[in-house]
Amino acid sequence: MEDFYHPPDHFIPEIRFNASTGELSISGESFHEYSVEFYQPVFQWLRDFLAIPNQKITMSFRMTYFNTNTSRRFLEVFDMLEEYEKNNKGCVTINWYYKAHDIDMKESGEEYIADTNVEINLIPYVV
Amino acid sequence: MEEKFSNYGFYAGFRENKLSLAFQGMISQDLLSLIGLSLRRKNDNEMVAKRLFGLVIELAQNIYHYSTEKAYSEKDKKEVGVGIIAIGETDEHYIVCSGNRMDSRKIIPITERCDYINNLDDDGLRLYYKEQRRNPSIADSKGAGLGLIDMVRRSGNKLTYVINDSGEQFAFLTLAVRINKNFGTLEN
Repeated sequence: MEDFYHPPDHFIPEIRFNASTGELSISGESFHEYSVEFYQPVFQWLRDFLAIPNQKITMSFRMTYFNTNTSRRFLEVFDMLEEYEKNNKGCVTINWYYKAHDIDMKESGEEYIADTNVEINLIPYVV
Repeated sequence: MEEKFSNYGFYAGFRENKLSLAFQGMISQDLLSLIGLSLRRKNDNEMVAKRLFGLVIELAQNIYHYSTEKAYSEKDKKEVGVGIIAIGETDEHYIVCSGNRMDSRKIIPITERCDYINNLDDDGLRLYYKEQRRNPSIADSKGAGLGLIDMVRRSGNKLTYVINDSGEQFAFLTLAVRINKNFGTLEN
């Protein structure tokens, strides 16, 4: 399967999905007006990728800002990963990186932990 | 517009209300990025700048999708909303507000929604946000639902709305929220 890459822009995150290593990452800002349309190919790739069993997947989020619209899309990503684990298809690790002191980004991670059934590691980083 | 038009009226109004930024027109993504940049440059408190930016984004997206005054965006290849975004301040607060034309039939649902959100406490807001984020019936709508809740949560203050209703087909909606200048000072 081919890798997926979307370069970052002012309102679009950098998306780097490596099919062979299972390392998937979304980083930067996300406040696209049409988040459903923008994330559609991302979800398509993920669906195809998650159809392959027995993978070790690491999904990393390293966001500086995202709007409420995007927060819905991320919830969908967590749901897809949860489904993959629940069906014993493979092993998923989710890392939620936040800039140390960014209490809002930390809180967003905590809310995803509360609102989903996947394990999410909250990891502060210093720039 | 007359060629001899004077901007003094705007200037005086801006000064009187301590407006530091105001924009009227089509709210494009590029414009929003620029606003974000200027907020970060101006503000030494990174958290406040980020929250201010978040408030601008959510208000702008309301205009973009729901203003009944539209203009054609060459970049998006579709009609997008036109409106006003402004940031003003008092000694203790920044005030972010939007203004746009709206469908008069939406006056009651919008005011009810703002009132409902304004009456929730922190836990209520959290639960309502969680529930709305999971709500499939609005999940694909154009971002409706979460923005207003998020604004109240991020700012720590209630929404203010003013509706100029002339009894015609369109009304004019002003939405505002204030945020404490010292709110969200860096914590561990």
